[in-house]
Amino acid sequence: MTTDPAPTSGTEESLEQLGAANARTRKRRNIAIGVVAGLVVVGGAGAATAFAVNQPAPTPESEVTFAVQLLPDNLDIRTTTGAALDQLLIDNVYEGLVSRDASGTISPSLAKEWQVSDDGLTYTFTLNEGTTFSNGDALTSADVVWSLEDLIDNERADAKTLSSVESVRSDGDETVVVELKAPDPTLLYNLAGRAGLVLDQDAENDPQTSAVGSGPFLVEEFNAGDSVVLTRNADYWGEKAKIGTAVFQLFADNNAILNALNEGAVQFGAVDKNLQAQIADNDAFTLEEGFASDKYTLAFNNKAAPFTDVRVRQAVRAAIDHDAIVEALGGGNTLYGPIVASDPGYEDLSDVAPYDPDEAKALLAEAGYADGLSVTVTIPAFYASTGFGPILDLITSQLADVGITLNANQVEFPAWLNDVYTNHDYQLSIVDHAEARDFANWANPDYYFGYDNAQVQALWQQATTASDETVYAEKLSEAARIVSEDAAADWLVNPTTLVAVDKRLTGVSVDSTSSRLNVTAAAFDE
Amino acid sequence: MIRFLLGRAVLLVLGLGVASLLIFLALRVLPGDVAQVIGGTTATPEQVARIRESLGLNESPAAQYIAWVAGLLRGDLGTSLLTGVPIGDDLARRFEITLPLTLLALVIALAVALPLGTYSALRHDRPIGVAVGFGSQTLAAVPALWAGLLLILLFGRGVGLIGLLPTSGFPRSGWQDPLTALASLLLPALTIGLIEGAVLLRFVRSAALEALDQDYVRAGAARGLTRPQALARHGLPNVGLSIVSVSGLILAGLITGAVLIEALFNLPGVGRMLVDDVGSRDIAKVQSEVFFLTGIVLVIGALIDVAHRLIDPRQRERAVAA
Repeated sequence: MTTDPAPTSGTEESLEQLGAANARTRKRRNIAIGVVAGLVVVGGAGAATAFAVNQPAPTPESEVTFAVQLLPDNLDIRTTTGAALDQLLIDNVYEGLVSRDASGTISPSLAKEWQVSDDGLTYTFTLNEGTTFSNGDALTSADVVWSLEDLIDNERADAKTLSSVESVRSDGDETVVVELKAPDPTLLYNLAGRAGLVLDQDAENDPQTSAVGSGPFLVEEFNAGDSVVLTRNADYWGEKAKIGTAVFQLFADNNAILNALNEGAVQFGAVDKNLQAQIADNDAFTLEEGFASDKYTLAFNNKAAPFTDVRVRQAVRAAIDHDAIVEALGGGNTLYGPIVASDPGYEDLSDVAPYDPDEAKALLAEAGYADGLSVTVTIPAFYASTGFGPILDLITSQLADVGITLNANQVEFPAWLNDVYTNHDYQLSIVDHAEARDFANWANPDYYFGYDNAQVQALWQQATTASDETVYAEKLSEAARIVSEDAAADWLVNPTTLVAVDKRLTGVSVDSTSSRLNVTAAAFDE
Repeated sequence: MIRFLLGRAVLLVLGLGVASLLIFLALRVLPGDVAQVIGGTTATPEQVARIRESLGLNESPAAQYIAWVAGLLRGDLGTSLLTGVPIGDDLARRFEITLPLTLLALVIALAVALPLGTYSALRHDRPIGVAVGFGSQTLAAVPALWAGLLLILLFGRGVGLIGLLPTSGFPRSGWQDPLTALASLLLPALTIGLIEGAVLLRFVRSAALEALDQDYVRAGAARGLTRPQALARHGLPNVGLSIVSVSGLILAGLITGAVLIEALFNLPGVGRMLVDDVGSRDIAKVQSEVFFLTGIVLVIGALIDVAHRLIDPRQRERAVAA
């Protein structure tokens, strides 16, 4: 499309003159819209500037915003699973008989003390006096009994962690007696989790969108997909929270967390290690490394070829350089078995599956795959955009070095749940098993790993019915070695988290923050 | 004109009906279900079955469709399976962010495209005109995510060279503090506004170039008008119509396409809601949201048609002649 320049002075006219000429015309709509638009933008920018200058200190003394990467879809802790509910509500809004810190140490909560009978079958809890729910109801032993029975009888979320419980009864308003079928060294730990929470049996709220708990915070606002606002419970029976408001703000994007931290809109948040340079120079924050119970697991379908062959499984493990994964992630711990260092039963199993590409090739040849092997890994798509992205690339190239072609099949999480988790229709998968003390999966042949070893199941049985924690740990460690020697899976890495904490903020642990974020002791020094 | 309006309204209703059916059917082919998502990785098959039952997922597709459409006709978008929150409430809350965001972006796009597009057409054979044309082509090709990051590095408070504007989130109090709310939308609106503006600029430029070549503009020039005057008086009104159409389409595209930008700036808008809900298979919610968005696009299309008829006398005459 070409135009002959008309023989006028038009080409010399400036834009302003064009505007002036238009102003004289009746049909000036379009340009007028442009001018108005320009004014609006300039005005808006001006307003923003004014706003920026007049803005008060980024956070009021009493409000702290925590960046989280998962928020629950609803607040119904009895029906909906997922660590996001635990992270948000346990200890902050709901309380159990006992509580635990990130390292698993048990502490009193609703129960001020407890006794265990010599045979390990009877636990007697003595409740604190004067405890109340946020709706004003008194919290008595009847509520405790109802909560535990309702959970077990109706198979609520996590009910199976209390499968050793025979009965729960109250003995006066302040005493609760829990009888077990067999000794259970994990009972207190599990009672400190979701299964042990005490709810008000007379509460009439909608548990999906509100919560009646006995904890130091109340759910003030629940904005699904965006934020949850907790406010201090002024009538809390125990030591009251120090901050007035705790905001759990959801971030879907690692960059967005960094921007929010740098802007001062967030006081606490995990930082992607590969992006840490963007906040390292910010004097308002300290960067702290926290441990996590996450196990990035390369799951083998032990019931599907070629992973029914232990040599293939061992070959895959030998082909993967775990130190390189730690390096690619910018930190973390190598892991050669199903138990992380912070859990009972941990043992360094690096001798079981050292990095040895030649050995991997030999094993493959022995298994009949001398000419190579092509396998598919099914991975939830959102993992690829988080820490798994570089890991997937890395193991793809490491496996290629020994002749294994890895095809990545990225699927949405619900599809993963359906195909891999429920129907066991997969060869390999990469999943973050974030829960602490989740060895039970290896003793369950129906779990999606499809790992079926009678010896491991027997050891698990002995461990969970042991009369003390030492035996529990010993049996677990024995079982974990077998699982690793069987190459039931490959444990790629136990990542650590890097958390940016506002220097004025104290009292919040940076360990295991994705499974539990207790903000009761959080304090803000101005 | 009344007959035209009636006809257009019938077409709109038909379109909505077809859309509802297509949306309903399309979403049924997604693998995975919300009961499993609620049950998560620890639920037994029996627990998942119980959740399915309680959510009414075992009813026949026909019954589900009829129930949904009946609700829509009553103005009831339904309730989220996952959150238990009425979908209409959630949409309204999200639209408080997405609608102003897209309108602001459109205003920015127009503010860039109209003057610069016309100017570069008038100067199309000068270096400056060529430069604007080339610049707009480059800008139109920039990925929104990258542009957003760049703007944050330039203007983001706490991060940027000129730390001016907030880069993250939307005030929880909403528009109660309009300045804060507006400020939080400025950078994301600039990001998409500039890119869409570059696209629109190219459209305006070629439309204006074409107009410059038309006889009526030349005639105007021959009568002694300067070229810009002739373009403004006779050319732009004629191409203005198609600019309105394109702007309408861009607006519709902006509303449905705000996903990326809302994630980058952590804005809880419609785009992010849609992605989250698809991801968690909250089908009841997704179908109402998609239907609502489709409705907006269809309504914008209808309004453009009506605007054309009102603005352009030739279309009315043509209709009469036919």
